[in-house]
Amino acid sequence: MNEANLYPGLNLGGGHGDAHDQAENTVFGFWVFLMSDLIIFGILFASYASYRDPIGLAGGPGPRDLFDIESVAIQTAFLLVGGVAYGGVSLAVKYETGRAKVIAWLLLCAALGAGFLFFEVKDFITQAGKGGVPQASGWLSSYWALVGLHGIHVLSGIVWILAMIAQIIKRGMDDTVKVRLSMLGVFWHFLDLVWVGIFSFVFLVPLA
Amino acid sequence: MSRPNTGEIDPKDTARAEIRSYAIGFVASLLLTGGAFAVHLSGLSVSWKIALICAAALVQIVVHLRKFLHLSFSGEQSREDLLLVLFSVCLLAIMAGGTWYVMADLGERMHQSGMDGAPMHSMSAD
Repeated sequence: MNEANLYPGLNLGGGHGDAHDQAENTVFGFWVFLMSDLIIFGILFASYASYRDPIGLAGGPGPRDLFDIESVAIQTAFLLVGGVAYGGVSLAVKYETGRAKVIAWLLLCAALGAGFLFFEVKDFITQAGKGGVPQASGWLSSYWALVGLHGIHVLSGIVWILAMIAQIIKRGMDDTVKVRLSMLGVFWHFLDLVWVGIFSFVFLVPLA
Repeated sequence: MSRPNTGEIDPKDTARAEIRSYAIGFVASLLLTGGAFAVHLSGLSVSWKIALICAAALVQIVVHLRKFLHLSFSGEQSREDLLLVLFSVCLLAIMAGGTWYVMADLGERMHQSGMDGAPMHSMSAD
């Protein structure tokens, strides 16, 4: 990178003038919010790890009864590719390759996010059917809280993407839209990062 | 502290470098994710599996921070992004690590005292 980064995420760069400077404060502020979000996720990870013992399981169904590792792998693939696809959005915004390309990349991200959610909800339904409901044990409460919260984040990310597509169509690529797209990028990549923790520590480690 | 864009840098070059950076991040994440799942399917001992999965996750988190969130660890950052991340991670280590340690220790002591008795229920209440 040739220029200093002013804020997290792919920077718009000096060529974007006001939008670049405006993004500095706004995206940094959003990053502060995400770090507090990270603390919430971190604490949920800690309670999940604490409940993962016979007492926390309370005689209810355990990881081996409930987790479908194939489905977790599919979800991981959806989210990882969806996260990288946002790189296409950031680059298309930065190098001004046109509205259509930005919207196409955004739609790809939303579609991959939706694919992720489809398999996640399917898993939740299967697990609930096997008796793995949140009220069955402390371990299951923490599992639903942690993975469910991440799922809600992905859902809001998709809603945000659709809102941004509407804004791009309505307002065009003005400074405000560019700054918002930078924030959305940080959010979307952050969800990917949390998922790395989830598939490793929530799914793979208990099944090891 | 941002350097002014003098226009001397060819935007095509930076674009190519940025695409390559995303590609490196993607390939690295793919390998680390695939590696973690492969370890899960392998016949290694449980403690090896857990160690390798945790190591792959930590490396992948660094890759994501560096390649997708474009955080710099070498001080080319002009804002306090890195300080903020380090501070949050420090808080998190104290709170999450502390919670886990205290609860694990408590669990162990209760198991030692034996019997599936009443005292055990105090743990799940927390």
